[in-house]
Amino acid sequence: MKKIFSVNTLLSALYFIGGLALMGGIWELIAAITKHEIPTPAMTWDVFKEVMQNPMQNDPDYKGIGVKLLSSLSRVGIGFGFGSLIAIPIGLIMGSSKITMNIINPMVQILRPVSPLAWFPLGLAIFQDSPQASIFMIFICSLWPTLINTAFGVSHIPQDHKNVGKAFGFSRWKYITKIVLPYTFPHILTGLRLSIGVAWMVIVAGEMLSGGMGLGYFVWEEGFNGGSVAKILVAIIIIGIVGLLLDRIFMTLQKRFSFAG
Amino acid sequence: MTTTLELSPRVVEINAAAEPAEQKSIEINNVTVSFKTPTGVYTAVKEISLEVKKGEIIALIGHSGCGKSTLMGTISGMVQPTSGEVKANGNVVTKPGPDRGIVFQNYSLLPWLSVYSNIYEAVDAALKDKTAAEKKALVEKNLKMVNLWSHKDKLPGQLSGGMKQRVAIARAFAINPSILLLDEPFGALDALTKSNMHVELLKLWNLDNREKTIVIVTHDVEEAIFLSDRVVVMNNGPAATIKEIVDVPLPRPRNKKEIVHDECYMAIHDKLLSLLIDKFSINDIH
Repeated sequence: MKKIFSVNTLLSALYFIGGLALMGGIWELIAAITKHEIPTPAMTWDVFKEVMQNPMQNDPDYKGIGVKLLSSLSRVGIGFGFGSLIAIPIGLIMGSSKITMNIINPMVQILRPVSPLAWFPLGLAIFQDSPQASIFMIFICSLWPTLINTAFGVSHIPQDHKNVGKAFGFSRWKYITKIVLPYTFPHILTGLRLSIGVAWMVIVAGEMLSGGMGLGYFVWEEGFNGGSVAKILVAIIIIGIVGLLLDRIFMTLQKRFSFAG
Repeated sequence: MTTTLELSPRVVEINAAAEPAEQKSIEINNVTVSFKTPTGVYTAVKEISLEVKKGEIIALIGHSGCGKSTLMGTISGMVQPTSGEVKANGNVVTKPGPDRGIVFQNYSLLPWLSVYSNIYEAVDAALKDKTAAEKKALVEKNLKMVNLWSHKDKLPGQLSGGMKQRVAIARAFAINPSILLLDEPFGALDALTKSNMHVELLKLWNLDNREKTIVIVTHDVEEAIFLSDRVVVMNNGPAATIKEIVDVPLPRPRNKKEIVHDECYMAIHDKLLSLLIDKFSINDIH
Protein backbone atom coordinates (compact mmCIF):
# COMPACT_ATOMS: atom_id res chain seq x y z
CA MET A 1 0.00 0.00 0.00
CA LYS A 2 1.17 3.46 -0.79
CA LYS A 3 1.91 5.63 2.17
CA ILE A 4 -0.19 8.77 2.09
CA PHE A 5 1.48 10.57 4.96
CA SER A 6 5.21 10.20 4.85
CA VAL A 7 7.42 12.24 7.16
CA ASN A 8 8.26 14.53 4.26
CA THR A 9 4.69 15.39 3.34
CA LEU A 10 3.93 15.97 7.00
CA LEU A 11 6.92 18.29 7.30
CA SER A 12 6.06 20.27 4.19
CA ALA A 13 2.47 20.58 5.43
CA LEU A 14 3.82 21.98 8.70
CA TYR A 15 6.04 24.44 6.83
CA PHE A 16 3.07 25.50 4.71
CA ILE A 17 0.95 26.16 7.81
CA GLY A 18 3.89 27.96 9.41
CA GLY A 19 4.22 30.17 6.33
CA LEU A 20 0.53 30.99 6.39
CA ALA A 21 0.72 31.82 10.09
CA LEU A 22 3.69 34.09 9.49
CA MET A 23 1.84 35.88 6.71
CA GLY A 24 -1.26 36.23 8.93
CA GLY A 25 0.91 37.66 11.70
CA ILE A 26 2.45 40.27 9.42
CA TRP A 27 -1.02 41.08 8.10
CA GLU A 28 -2.38 41.56 11.66
CA LEU A 29 0.59 43.80 12.42
CA ILE A 30 0.02 45.97 9.36
CA ALA A 31 -3.72 46.18 10.20
CA ALA A 32 -2.84 47.31 13.72
CA ILE A 33 -0.28 49.89 12.53
CA THR A 34 -2.70 51.36 9.96
CA LYS A 35 -5.42 51.48 12.63
CA HIS A 36 -7.57 49.08 10.58
CA GLU A 37 -7.31 51.19 7.42
CA ILE A 38 -6.10 47.83 6.14
CA PRO A 39 -8.62 45.35 7.59
CA THR A 40 -7.50 42.43 9.75
CA PRO A 41 -7.61 38.87 8.40
CA ALA A 42 -10.75 38.23 10.45
CA MET A 43 -12.52 41.29 9.05
CA THR A 44 -11.46 40.25 5.53
CA TRP A 45 -12.76 36.74 6.17
CA ASP A 46 -16.19 38.19 7.06
CA VAL A 47 -16.24 40.17 3.81
CA PHE A 48 -15.05 37.08 1.96
CA LYS A 49 -18.04 35.09 3.29
CA GLU A 50 -20.34 37.93 2.31
CA VAL A 51 -18.88 38.06 -1.21
CA MET A 52 -19.18 34.30 -1.52
CA GLN A 53 -22.93 34.37 -0.88
CA ASN A 54 -24.79 33.65 -4.10
CA PRO A 55 -21.59 33.57 -6.19
CA MET A 56 -23.51 32.51 -9.28
CA GLN A 57 -26.22 35.17 -9.02
CA ASN A 58 -26.50 36.68 -12.48
CA ASP A 59 -28.97 39.58 -12.48
CA PRO A 60 -28.62 42.61 -14.74
CA ASP A 61 -27.86 44.81 -11.74
CA TYR A 62 -25.78 42.35 -9.69
CA LYS A 63 -23.38 39.67 -10.79
CA GLY A 64 -21.93 37.29 -8.19
CA ILE A 65 -18.20 36.79 -7.77
CA GLY A 66 -18.35 33.38 -9.47
CA VAL A 67 -19.96 34.89 -12.57
CA LYS A 68 -17.29 37.58 -12.62
CA LEU A 69 -14.55 34.99 -12.20
CA LEU A 70 -15.92 32.89 -15.05
CA SER A 71 -16.16 35.89 -17.35
CA SER A 72 -12.53 36.74 -16.57
CA LEU A 73 -11.49 33.15 -17.15
CA SER A 74 -13.33 32.94 -20.45
CA ARG A 75 -11.60 36.07 -21.69
CA VAL A 76 -8.25 34.71 -20.59
CA GLY A 77 -9.11 31.44 -22.31
CA ILE A 78 -9.96 33.10 -25.61
CA GLY A 79 -6.96 35.44 -25.63
CA PHE A 80 -4.56 32.76 -24.45
CA GLY A 81 -6.04 30.19 -26.86
CA PHE A 82 -5.69 32.38 -29.93
CA GLY A 83 -2.26 33.52 -28.75
CA SER A 84 -1.06 29.93 -28.42
CA LEU A 85 -2.53 28.93 -31.80
CA ILE A 86 -0.42 31.66 -33.39
CA ALA A 87 2.63 31.37 -31.13
CA ILE A 88 3.28 27.61 -31.52
CA PRO A 89 3.46 27.51 -35.36
CA ILE A 90 5.49 30.73 -35.50
CA GLY A 91 7.79 29.37 -32.81
CA LEU A 92 8.21 26.14 -34.79
CA ILE A 93 9.10 28.11 -37.92
CA MET A 94 11.36 30.50 -36.01
CA GLY A 95 13.35 27.72 -34.39
CA SER A 96 13.66 25.58 -37.49
CA SER A 97 16.55 27.50 -39.06
CA LYS A 98 19.07 30.23 -38.35
CA ILE A 99 17.57 32.33 -41.14
CA THR A 100 14.00 32.31 -39.78
CA MET A 101 15.41 32.90 -36.30
CA ASN A 102 17.24 35.99 -37.55
CA ILE A 103 14.14 37.26 -39.36
CA ILE A 104 11.59 36.76 -36.59
CA ASN A 105 13.68 37.24 -33.46
CA PRO A 106 14.20 41.03 -33.72
CA MET A 107 10.44 41.61 -33.98
CA VAL A 108 9.84 39.41 -30.96
CA GLN A 109 12.53 41.15 -28.95
CA ILE A 110 11.07 44.58 -29.73
CA LEU A 111 7.42 43.70 -29.09
CA ARG A 112 7.87 41.43 -26.08
CA PRO A 113 8.87 44.05 -23.48
CA VAL A 114 5.97 46.38 -24.39
CA SER A 115 3.69 46.95 -21.41
CA PRO A 116 0.30 45.20 -21.64
CA LEU A 117 -1.37 48.57 -21.02
CA ALA A 118 0.13 50.01 -24.23
CA TRP A 119 -1.66 47.36 -26.30
CA PHE A 120 -5.09 48.22 -24.89
CA PRO A 121 -5.74 51.44 -26.84
CA LEU A 122 -4.51 49.72 -30.01
CA GLY A 123 -7.03 46.93 -29.43
CA LEU A 124 -9.70 49.51 -28.77
CA ALA A 125 -8.86 51.28 -32.03
CA ILE A 126 -8.99 48.00 -33.96
CA PHE A 127 -12.12 46.46 -32.42
CA GLN A 128 -14.01 49.55 -31.20
CA ASP A 129 -15.09 47.38 -28.26
CA SER A 130 -13.51 47.35 -24.82
CA PRO A 131 -14.07 43.66 -23.86
CA GLN A 132 -12.54 42.66 -27.19
CA ALA A 133 -9.70 45.09 -26.59
CA SER A 134 -8.89 43.36 -23.29
CA ILE A 135 -8.92 39.97 -25.06
CA PHE A 136 -6.58 41.44 -27.67
CA MET A 137 -4.29 42.60 -24.86
CA ILE A 138 -4.17 39.08 -23.39
CA PHE A 139 -3.62 37.61 -26.83
CA ILE A 140 -0.58 39.80 -27.53
CA CYS A 141 0.94 39.43 -24.09
CA SER A 142 0.52 35.65 -23.86
CA LEU A 143 2.17 35.09 -27.25
CA TRP A 144 5.77 35.63 -26.28
CA PRO A 145 6.65 33.00 -23.69
CA THR A 146 5.09 30.23 -25.81
CA LEU A 147 6.71 31.52 -28.99
CA ILE A 148 10.16 31.85 -27.46
CA ASN A 149 10.06 28.50 -25.69
CA THR A 150 8.79 26.68 -28.78
CA ALA A 151 11.52 28.26 -30.90
CA PHE A 152 14.12 27.35 -28.27
CA GLY A 153 12.92 23.74 -28.24
CA VAL A 154 13.02 23.35 -32.01
CA SER A 155 16.43 24.95 -32.33
CA HIS A 156 17.87 22.62 -29.70
CA ILE A 157 16.83 19.28 -31.18
CA PRO A 158 19.91 17.07 -30.61
CA GLN A 159 21.93 16.15 -33.68
CA ASP A 160 21.40 12.47 -32.80
CA HIS A 161 17.66 12.81 -33.34
CA LYS A 162 18.14 14.74 -36.57
CA ASN A 163 20.55 12.05 -37.76
CA VAL A 164 17.87 9.38 -37.35
CA GLY A 165 15.58 11.33 -39.67
CA LYS A 166 18.35 11.88 -42.17
CA ALA A 167 19.76 8.35 -42.10
CA PHE A 168 16.44 6.62 -42.65
CA GLY A 169 15.06 9.20 -45.05
CA PHE A 170 12.15 10.47 -42.94
CA SER A 171 9.67 12.50 -44.97
CA ARG A 172 9.11 16.11 -43.93
CA TRP A 173 5.82 15.11 -42.29
CA LYS A 174 7.35 12.19 -40.39
CA TYR A 175 10.24 14.38 -39.29
CA ILE A 176 7.86 16.98 -37.86
CA THR A 177 5.45 14.54 -36.21
CA LYS A 178 7.95 11.97 -34.93
CA ILE A 179 10.96 14.12 -34.07
CA VAL A 180 10.26 17.88 -33.95
CA LEU A 181 6.94 17.89 -32.11
CA PRO A 182 7.69 15.17 -29.53
CA TYR A 183 11.03 16.80 -28.70
CA THR A 184 9.55 20.30 -28.56
CA PHE A 185 6.36 19.40 -26.70
CA PRO A 186 7.76 19.80 -23.16
CA HIS A 187 9.22 23.17 -24.20
CA ILE A 188 5.85 24.21 -25.62
CA LEU A 189 4.20 23.25 -22.33
CA THR A 190 6.72 25.34 -20.40
CA GLY A 191 5.89 28.25 -22.69
CA LEU A 192 2.17 27.73 -22.22
CA ARG A 193 2.61 27.62 -18.46
CA LEU A 194 4.44 30.94 -18.47
CA SER A 195 1.92 32.38 -20.94
CA ILE A 196 -1.14 31.47 -18.90
CA GLY A 197 0.52 33.18 -15.93
CA VAL A 198 1.05 36.34 -17.96
CA ALA A 199 -2.51 36.17 -19.34
CA TRP A 200 -3.95 35.88 -15.86
CA MET A 201 -1.82 38.77 -14.67
CA VAL A 202 -2.90 40.96 -17.59
CA ILE A 203 -6.65 40.29 -17.32
CA VAL A 204 -7.11 42.37 -14.16
CA ALA A 205 -5.47 45.38 -15.77
CA GLY A 206 -7.51 44.84 -18.92
CA GLU A 207 -10.78 44.66 -17.07
CA MET A 208 -9.96 47.73 -15.02
CA LEU A 209 -9.49 49.62 -18.26
CA SER A 210 -12.46 48.14 -20.08
CA GLY A 211 -14.83 48.17 -17.10
CA GLY A 212 -18.15 46.38 -16.85
CA MET A 213 -17.24 42.79 -16.11
CA GLY A 214 -14.82 40.46 -14.46
CA LEU A 215 -12.54 40.41 -11.45
CA GLY A 216 -10.64 43.52 -12.52
CA TYR A 217 -13.84 45.48 -12.53
CA PHE A 218 -14.73 44.00 -9.13
CA VAL A 219 -11.45 45.22 -7.65
CA TRP A 220 -11.90 48.68 -9.07
CA GLU A 221 -15.62 49.30 -8.76
CA GLU A 222 -16.72 47.41 -5.65
CA GLY A 223 -13.35 47.55 -3.92
CA PHE A 224 -11.79 50.93 -4.53
CA ASN A 225 -14.80 53.02 -5.60
CA GLY A 226 -17.00 51.20 -3.08
CA GLY A 227 -14.52 52.11 -0.36
CA SER A 228 -13.96 48.51 0.78
CA VAL A 229 -10.30 47.63 1.17
CA ALA A 230 -11.44 44.22 2.40
CA LYS A 231 -13.04 43.54 -0.99
CA ILE A 232 -9.78 44.47 -2.71
CA LEU A 233 -7.97 41.99 -0.46
CA VAL A 234 -10.60 39.31 -1.13
CA ALA A 235 -10.19 39.86 -4.87
CA ILE A 236 -6.39 39.65 -4.56
CA ILE A 237 -6.67 36.35 -2.71
CA ILE A 238 -9.09 34.91 -5.27
CA ILE A 239 -6.92 36.09 -8.16
CA GLY A 240 -3.87 34.59 -6.49
CA ILE A 241 -5.48 31.21 -5.82
CA VAL A 242 -6.94 30.91 -9.33
CA GLY A 243 -3.54 31.87 -10.78
CA LEU A 244 -1.92 29.17 -8.67
CA LEU A 245 -4.45 26.59 -9.86
CA LEU A 246 -3.89 27.50 -13.51
CA ASP A 247 -0.15 27.15 -12.97
CA ARG A 248 -0.59 23.76 -11.30
CA ILE A 249 -2.65 22.45 -14.21
CA PHE A 250 0.16 23.22 -16.65
CA MET A 251 2.77 21.97 -14.22
CA THR A 252 0.97 18.63 -14.05
CA LEU A 253 0.87 18.48 -17.85
CA GLN A 254 4.57 19.31 -17.96
CA LYS A 255 5.40 16.45 -15.60
CA ARG A 256 3.14 14.08 -17.52
CA PHE A 257 4.84 14.79 -20.84
CA SER A 258 8.46 15.11 -19.84
CA PHE A 259 10.57 12.16 -20.93
CA ALA A 260 13.92 10.93 -19.77
CA GLY A 261 16.37 11.54 -22.62
CA MET B 1 27.33 -20.31 -27.04
CA THR B 2 26.35 -18.11 -29.92
CA THR B 3 29.74 -18.56 -31.61
CA THR B 4 28.69 -22.02 -32.71
CA LEU B 5 25.84 -20.48 -34.66
CA GLU B 6 28.22 -19.15 -37.28
CA LEU B 7 27.96 -21.05 -40.51
CA SER B 8 30.96 -23.08 -41.53
CA PRO B 9 33.33 -21.23 -43.86
CA ARG B 10 32.77 -23.89 -46.54
CA VAL B 11 29.14 -22.84 -47.08
CA VAL B 12 30.26 -19.30 -47.60
CA GLU B 13 32.94 -20.32 -50.06
CA ILE B 14 30.30 -22.06 -52.17
CA ASN B 15 28.12 -18.94 -52.04
CA ALA B 16 31.07 -16.77 -52.94
CA ALA B 17 31.95 -18.98 -55.90
CA ALA B 18 28.45 -18.49 -57.29
CA GLU B 19 28.93 -14.73 -57.31
CA PRO B 20 30.00 -13.12 -60.59
CA ALA B 21 33.66 -12.34 -59.90
CA GLU B 22 34.38 -9.97 -57.00
CA GLN B 23 31.79 -7.28 -56.53
CA LYS B 24 32.82 -3.88 -55.36
CA SER B 25 30.56 -2.75 -52.57
CA ILE B 26 32.14 0.56 -51.66
CA GLU B 27 34.56 2.64 -53.71
CA ILE B 28 36.13 5.68 -52.13
CA ASN B 29 37.97 7.69 -54.78
CA ASN B 30 40.34 10.43 -53.72
CA VAL B 31 38.01 11.82 -51.09
CA THR B 32 38.81 15.04 -49.22
CA VAL B 33 36.48 16.51 -46.62
CA SER B 34 36.95 20.07 -45.37
CA PHE B 35 34.78 22.06 -43.02
CA LYS B 36 34.49 25.80 -42.71
CA THR B 37 35.10 26.80 -39.12
CA PRO B 38 35.24 30.26 -37.52
CA THR B 39 39.04 29.95 -37.45
CA GLY B 40 39.39 28.88 -41.09
CA VAL B 41 39.04 25.79 -43.25
CA TYR B 42 39.61 22.51 -41.41
CA THR B 43 40.48 19.51 -43.52
CA ALA B 44 39.41 16.34 -41.73
CA VAL B 45 40.45 13.70 -44.24
CA LYS B 46 42.61 14.20 -47.32
CA GLU B 47 42.70 12.34 -50.63
CA ILE B 48 41.64 8.97 -49.32
CA SER B 49 40.99 6.06 -51.66
CA LEU B 50 39.71 2.67 -50.54
CA GLU B 51 37.78 -0.21 -52.05
CA VAL B 52 35.65 -2.62 -50.07
CA LYS B 53 34.41 -5.92 -51.51
CA LYS B 54 30.88 -7.18 -51.10
CA GLY B 55 30.51 -9.14 -47.88
CA GLU B 56 33.77 -7.83 -46.49
CA ILE B 57 34.06 -6.51 -42.96
CA ILE B 58 36.53 -3.70 -42.53
CA ALA B 59 37.45 -1.69 -39.47
CA LEU B 60 38.52 1.95 -39.58
CA ILE B 61 40.78 2.53 -36.63
CA GLY B 62 42.67 5.55 -35.38
CA HIS B 63 42.92 8.05 -32.58
CA SER B 64 40.01 10.22 -31.56
CA GLY B 65 39.47 13.04 -34.03
CA CYS B 66 41.45 11.37 -36.81
CA GLY B 67 38.56 11.70 -39.22
CA LYS B 68 37.45 8.07 -39.27
CA SER B 69 33.86 9.02 -38.47
CA THR B 70 34.01 11.69 -41.17
CA LEU B 71 35.21 9.15 -43.71
CA MET B 72 32.37 6.84 -42.63
CA GLY B 73 29.99 9.76 -43.05
CA THR B 74 30.93 10.08 -46.70
CA ILE B 75 29.87 6.46 -47.24
CA SER B 76 26.59 6.87 -45.38
CA GLY B 77 25.86 10.15 -47.18
CA MET B 78 25.63 12.13 -43.95
CA VAL B 79 28.81 14.01 -44.95
CA GLN B 80 29.49 15.37 -48.45
CA PRO B 81 33.05 15.07 -49.74
CA THR B 82 34.63 18.40 -50.66
CA SER B 83 36.37 16.66 -53.54
CA GLY B 84 36.46 13.11 -54.85
CA GLU B 85 33.52 10.73 -54.77
CA VAL B 86 32.17 7.71 -52.97
CA LYS B 87 30.26 4.94 -54.74
CA ALA B 88 28.07 2.48 -52.92
CA ASN B 89 26.92 -0.51 -54.99
CA GLY B 90 28.11 1.35 -58.06
CA ASN B 91 26.09 4.52 -57.43
CA VAL B 92 27.63 7.82 -56.41
CA VAL B 93 26.59 8.63 -52.85
CA THR B 94 24.82 11.97 -52.49
CA LYS B 95 22.61 11.27 -49.49
CA PRO B 96 21.71 8.45 -47.08
CA GLY B 97 19.76 5.63 -48.66
CA PRO B 98 18.13 2.32 -47.76
CA ASP B 99 21.06 0.37 -49.26
CA ARG B 100 23.18 1.60 -46.35
CA GLY B 101 22.15 0.99 -42.75
CA ILE B 102 23.71 3.13 -40.07
CA VAL B 103 24.31 2.34 -36.41
CA PHE B 104 25.29 5.44 -34.49
CA GLN B 105 27.64 5.75 -31.57
CA ASN B 106 24.96 7.06 -29.17
CA TYR B 107 22.29 4.54 -30.23
CA SER B 108 20.24 7.46 -31.57
CA LEU B 109 16.91 6.01 -30.58
CA LEU B 110 14.01 8.41 -30.26
CA PRO B 111 13.26 8.47 -26.52
CA TRP B 112 9.52 9.10 -26.93
CA LEU B 113 8.95 6.08 -29.17
CA SER B 114 8.75 2.47 -28.01
CA VAL B 115 11.39 -0.01 -29.12
CA TYR B 116 8.91 -1.29 -31.70
CA SER B 117 8.01 2.15 -33.05
CA ASN B 118 11.64 3.19 -33.24
CA ILE B 119 12.25 0.40 -35.72
CA TYR B 120 8.86 0.67 -37.43
CA GLU B 121 9.23 4.38 -38.21
CA ALA B 122 12.67 3.78 -39.72
CA VAL B 123 11.39 0.88 -41.83
CA ASP B 124 8.32 2.89 -42.82
CA ALA B 125 10.46 5.81 -43.96
CA ALA B 126 13.18 3.79 -45.71
CA LEU B 127 11.06 1.14 -47.42
CA LYS B 128 8.19 3.13 -48.86
CA ASP B 129 7.11 0.47 -51.37
CA LYS B 130 6.34 -2.19 -48.82
CA THR B 131 2.84 -2.73 -47.38
CA ALA B 132 2.13 -2.09 -43.72
CA ALA B 133 1.94 -5.84 -43.08
CA GLU B 134 5.34 -6.42 -44.69
CA LYS B 135 6.86 -3.61 -42.65
CA LYS B 136 5.41 -5.00 -39.43
CA ALA B 137 6.76 -8.44 -40.28
CA LEU B 138 10.22 -6.95 -40.81
CA VAL B 139 10.14 -5.21 -37.45
CA GLU B 140 9.04 -8.39 -35.70
CA LYS B 141 11.66 -10.55 -37.44
CA ASN B 142 14.50 -8.20 -36.60
CA LEU B 143 13.46 -7.59 -33.00
CA LYS B 144 13.25 -11.34 -32.46
CA MET B 145 16.65 -11.73 -34.08
CA VAL B 146 18.24 -9.57 -31.36
CA ASN B 147 16.08 -11.22 -28.67
CA LEU B 148 14.22 -8.04 -27.78
CA TRP B 149 10.70 -8.95 -28.91
CA SER B 150 9.52 -9.18 -25.30
CA HIS B 151 10.77 -5.64 -24.73
CA LYS B 152 9.05 -4.18 -27.79
CA ASP B 153 6.72 -1.89 -25.84
CA LYS B 154 9.40 -0.38 -23.61
CA LEU B 155 10.84 3.06 -24.11
CA PRO B 156 14.58 3.29 -24.82
CA GLY B 157 15.08 4.93 -21.40
CA GLN B 158 14.01 1.66 -19.76
CA LEU B 159 16.71 -0.37 -21.51
CA SER B 160 20.37 -0.99 -20.68
CA GLY B 161 23.09 0.33 -22.99
CA GLY B 162 23.62 -3.07 -24.60
CA MET B 163 19.90 -3.51 -25.24
CA LYS B 164 19.67 -0.03 -26.76
CA GLN B 165 22.50 -0.84 -29.12
CA ARG B 166 20.78 -4.10 -30.09
CA VAL B 167 17.67 -2.09 -30.95
CA ALA B 168 19.82 0.22 -33.06
CA ILE B 169 21.40 -2.77 -34.80
CA ALA B 170 17.98 -4.37 -35.37
CA ARG B 171 16.82 -1.07 -36.85
CA ALA B 172 19.76 -0.98 -39.24
CA PHE B 173 19.24 -4.63 -40.25
CA ALA B 174 15.47 -4.16 -40.63
CA ILE B 175 15.83 -2.04 -43.74
CA ASN B 176 17.97 -4.91 -45.11
CA PRO B 177 20.84 -2.78 -46.38
CA SER B 178 23.63 -4.34 -48.42
CA ILE B 179 26.08 -2.14 -46.53
CA LEU B 180 26.10 -1.75 -42.77
CA LEU B 181 27.93 1.20 -41.28
CA LEU B 182 28.72 1.14 -37.57
CA ASP B 183 30.20 4.25 -36.00
CA GLU B 184 31.93 3.28 -32.74
CA PRO B 185 28.86 1.19 -31.97
CA PHE B 186 30.11 -0.46 -28.81
CA GLY B 187 32.23 2.38 -27.43
CA ALA B 188 29.88 3.12 -24.54
CA LEU B 189 29.42 -0.50 -23.46
CA ASP B 190 31.25 -2.37 -20.72
CA ALA B 191 33.81 -4.99 -21.81
CA LEU B 192 31.56 -8.02 -21.19
CA THR B 193 28.55 -6.62 -23.02
CA LYS B 194 30.86 -5.52 -25.80
CA SER B 195 32.21 -9.06 -26.29
CA ASN B 196 28.68 -10.44 -26.48
CA MET B 197 27.72 -7.80 -29.00
CA HIS B 198 30.67 -8.70 -31.23
CA VAL B 199 29.55 -12.30 -31.36
CA GLU B 200 25.93 -11.30 -31.91
CA LEU B 201 26.87 -9.00 -34.74
CA LEU B 202 28.80 -11.78 -36.50
CA LYS B 203 25.86 -14.10 -35.92
CA LEU B 204 23.52 -11.69 -37.69
CA TRP B 205 26.03 -11.31 -40.51
CA ASN B 206 26.21 -15.11 -40.82
CA LEU B 207 22.43 -15.54 -40.80
CA ASP B 208 22.45 -13.26 -43.81
CA ASN B 209 24.94 -15.54 -45.64
CA ARG B 210 27.76 -13.06 -45.07
CA GLU B 211 26.44 -10.95 -47.90
CA LYS B 212 26.40 -7.64 -46.09
CA THR B 213 29.41 -5.41 -46.29
CA ILE B 214 30.22 -4.01 -42.86
CA VAL B 215 32.33 -0.97 -42.10
CA ILE B 216 33.01 -0.41 -38.42
CA VAL B 217 34.66 2.65 -36.95
CA THR B 218 36.44 1.89 -33.72
CA HIS B 219 39.42 2.71 -31.57
CA ASP B 220 39.45 -0.74 -30.01
CA VAL B 221 42.22 -2.93 -31.46
CA GLU B 222 40.79 -6.26 -30.22
CA GLU B 223 37.37 -5.37 -31.59
CA ALA B 224 38.83 -4.46 -34.96
CA ILE B 225 40.75 -7.73 -35.29
CA PHE B 226 37.97 -10.00 -34.04
CA LEU B 227 35.39 -8.59 -36.41
CA SER B 228 37.14 -7.62 -39.59
CA ASP B 229 38.85 -8.95 -42.69
CA ARG B 230 40.97 -5.83 -43.04
CA VAL B 231 41.88 -3.13 -40.57
CA VAL B 232 42.37 0.35 -42.03
CA VAL B 233 44.67 2.33 -39.77
CA MET B 234 44.37 6.07 -40.10
CA ASN B 235 46.90 8.81 -39.40
CA ASN B 236 46.12 11.48 -36.90
CA GLY B 237 44.18 14.42 -38.25
CA PRO B 238 43.90 17.08 -39.42
CA ALA B 239 44.12 16.08 -43.08
CA ALA B 240 44.14 12.42 -42.07
CA THR B 241 45.14 9.78 -44.58
CA ILE B 242 45.34 6.00 -44.50
CA LYS B 243 48.52 4.98 -42.70
CA GLU B 244 48.33 1.31 -43.47
CA ILE B 245 45.86 -1.45 -44.26
CA VAL B 246 46.43 -4.62 -42.24
CA ASP B 247 44.89 -7.90 -43.46
CA VAL B 248 43.32 -10.19 -40.90
CA PRO B 249 43.49 -13.65 -42.48
CA LEU B 250 42.04 -15.41 -39.43
CA PRO B 251 39.54 -18.15 -40.36
CA ARG B 252 35.87 -17.77 -39.50
CA PRO B 253 33.94 -18.54 -37.42
CA ARG B 254 36.22 -16.93 -34.92
CA ASN B 255 36.12 -17.82 -31.27
CA LYS B 256 36.56 -14.97 -28.81
CA LYS B 257 38.40 -17.09 -26.28
CA GLU B 258 40.66 -19.06 -28.58
CA ILE B 259 41.55 -16.33 -31.01
CA VAL B 260 43.64 -14.41 -28.50
CA HIS B 261 46.13 -17.30 -28.30
CA ASP B 262 46.46 -17.52 -32.07
CA GLU B 263 49.91 -16.49 -33.25
CA CYS B 264 48.58 -14.70 -36.26
CA TYR B 265 46.17 -12.76 -34.01
CA MET B 266 49.00 -11.78 -31.70
CA ALA B 267 51.17 -10.63 -34.58
CA ILE B 268 48.36 -8.46 -35.97
CA HIS B 269 47.64 -7.14 -32.50
CA ASP B 270 51.28 -6.14 -32.03
CA LYS B 271 51.45 -4.55 -35.43
CA LEU B 272 48.33 -2.49 -34.86
CA LEU B 273 49.53 -1.35 -31.45
CA SER B 274 52.85 -0.27 -32.97
CA LEU B 275 51.02 1.65 -35.65
CA LEU B 276 48.76 3.39 -33.15
CA ILE B 277 50.91 3.86 -30.09
CA ASP B 278 54.45 5.13 -29.86
CA LYS B 279 54.89 5.01 -26.10
CA PHE B 280 54.50 1.61 -24.45
CA SER B 281 56.01 2.19 -21.06
CA ILE B 282 57.08 5.01 -18.80
CA ASN B 283 60.61 4.36 -20.12
CA ASP B 284 59.47 5.58 -23.51
CA ILE B 285 58.50 8.99 -22.20
CA HIS B 286 61.33 11.42 -22.56
